[in-house]
Amino acid sequence: MTVAATRRNVVTVVLVLSGVLVVVGVGALAIGGVHVALGDVWRSLAGAGPRTDATVIVRDIRLPRILLAALVGAALAVAGTALQALLRNPLADPYVLGISSGAALGDIAALWIGGRVAAASPLAAFVGALATMTWVYLLGRRRGRLASTSLLLAGVITASFLSAVILFVLTMLSTRDVRGAAFWLMGDLSVVTGVQLKLLAPAIILGTAALYAFSKDLNVLLLGEEEAAHLGVSVTRVHTVVYILASLLTGLAVSVSGAIGYLGLLVPHLGRMLVGNDHRTLLPAAALGGAIVLVISDTLARTIIAPSELPVGAVTAVAGAPVFIYLLRRTAG
Amino acid sequence: MRRGLATLRGLGITLAVVLLNLPCSRPATAQPRMLTDETGRRVNVPDHPQRLVSLAPSITETLYALGLGDRLVGDTDYCDFPPEAKLKPHVGAVLNPSLEKIVALKPDLVLGIAEANRRETADQLERLNVPLYGLTAHSLDETLRLITDLGHVLDDETRAQALVASLQRRIDAVEQRVAGQPRPKVLFVTWYRPLITAGPHTFVSDVIQRAGGVSISDDLHGDWPRMSLEEVLVRDPDVILFPSDKSLSPGLKEFAAMPGWKDLRAVKDHRMYFVSEALIHPSPRLVDALEEVARILHPVAKEGR
Repeated sequence: MTVAATRRNVVTVVLVLSGVLVVVGVGALAIGGVHVALGDVWRSLAGAGPRTDATVIVRDIRLPRILLAALVGAALAVAGTALQALLRNPLADPYVLGISSGAALGDIAALWIGGRVAAASPLAAFVGALATMTWVYLLGRRRGRLASTSLLLAGVITASFLSAVILFVLTMLSTRDVRGAAFWLMGDLSVVTGVQLKLLAPAIILGTAALYAFSKDLNVLLLGEEEAAHLGVSVTRVHTVVYILASLLTGLAVSVSGAIGYLGLLVPHLGRMLVGNDHRTLLPAAALGGAIVLVISDTLARTIIAPSELPVGAVTAVAGAPVFIYLLRRTAG
Repeated sequence: MRRGLATLRGLGITLAVVLLNLPCSRPATAQPRMLTDETGRRVNVPDHPQRLVSLAPSITETLYALGLGDRLVGDTDYCDFPPEAKLKPHVGAVLNPSLEKIVALKPDLVLGIAEANRRETADQLERLNVPLYGLTAHSLDETLRLITDLGHVLDDETRAQALVASLQRRIDAVEQRVAGQPRPKVLFVTWYRPLITAGPHTFVSDVIQRAGGVSISDDLHGDWPRMSLEEVLVRDPDVILFPSDKSLSPGLKEFAAMPGWKDLRAVKDHRMYFVSEALIHPSPRLVDALEEVARILHPVAKEGR
């Protein structure tokens, strides 16, 4: 495909999916356990009129939550896409290398030790994610290079070890803390502060943009490491940078929302069906697709059993598993 | 022949009873009683059980309140009230106590509670021939019934009756004091990331109700349901209660600053309070919690003296 054709493709994909995301986002603003009239939604967004329940619900509760869902969904889907290329494994997801387990352990350790949950928890989770990322990187290196097989093995074993530690710590917590921690482990987008959004948004956008700069290299990696090296790609450098960026994106997402499953595994596959294997179109498609899928999932999570809520991770898992099986049978057949 | 057999059998039983009783230092009345516990299990409970193991903080507290702390030979890692309870040998956590430790303490009766302990623990102890009497309670009234029942099981009905009577008097006093007062809407926050509150049929709901308030989460399902923030905003509680808990306590200000919360009436009026964690246990301290919540909900109500 020519450069111009690829560029046209990317622009089309970005425009179409952005349009869908905006429609979904506005729809999600209007849908919730509490009925808010469309006129009120519009007035809330325009910032006109007095502060009422409706404007607080739309502006202060639904809007930040929808933005968070979009950011987290994009981060997870982009990280999943990059890791599937890096590890050359269609089963790879953002959690396969243990990053989410590290973040979860950080969060639960903060609970266990006690202290200021609201502020400390995402921070502790992010520290846990960074520590795990470093550890897996050191463990996965062979003779100075980051080979995908050893990286995958290092990540998988670290993930299972950390999960064991999490189970151990859970038995030490009081029943009430266990319930809270369990909800967090299933993923939750209901609590987000403005500060978190302001930090998260540029970090996730920058991380995605940086990965996008490597999209051609990711294409070449799919051919195999040797072929990539023959084509002049510095495999070790690409591996390292992609690994770090994907892990950072995962760590950021998990720190604020817990481990929301299936999304980072599925959206890349959906993206490939939609736009093909070229990461120059696939990465933007995955980012926007992940955002769309998580905004929809979270809207379901907060409305299905209103006035109560479901954990969003349960929604993505229940919906994700059948979709994955469907994709599997389609490609196998 | 038949008569002979009957005599033989009678002799055998007598012998068995004599043999069983001979080396035994228990009171002469030591006869196992087959009782049905509060969870519907059949339990062989000895008369005057002397070596008790408690599998939940609420039971430990109740035993001490009954003046039976000296009969307690073991409790859980979480039993911290009264302070003496911390000095007893511990058998592990509430959800996964160590069977070995329980058996090693040679209890003649283990006391568990359906809301905190696991069924598996009861089944395993049954297989080891350690009798476990299961209790259960979801309200103030049921807690009083639990104390009465415990008095019956432990052969200490007088003390149990006295305790129940004094608790009942205090409950009545609270109810009199708040009667006819406007009932504030109350949100109880068990956890806030995500927001988890208390459902109907919980101590929390019952205590709020009897302290002269209305829990805004009484129509939700389950004991500890998640609640959506927008729903809280619409129901607009007058008062927000938190269980006093180290992991949340420094966070009130942050909590109040979270999106959506600062518009709540309770937050604007600064009516957010920590209440004793006794609010979620079926122990005599539940009545302390009731008095505490009543003072919070009705600070200016006349003391009914």
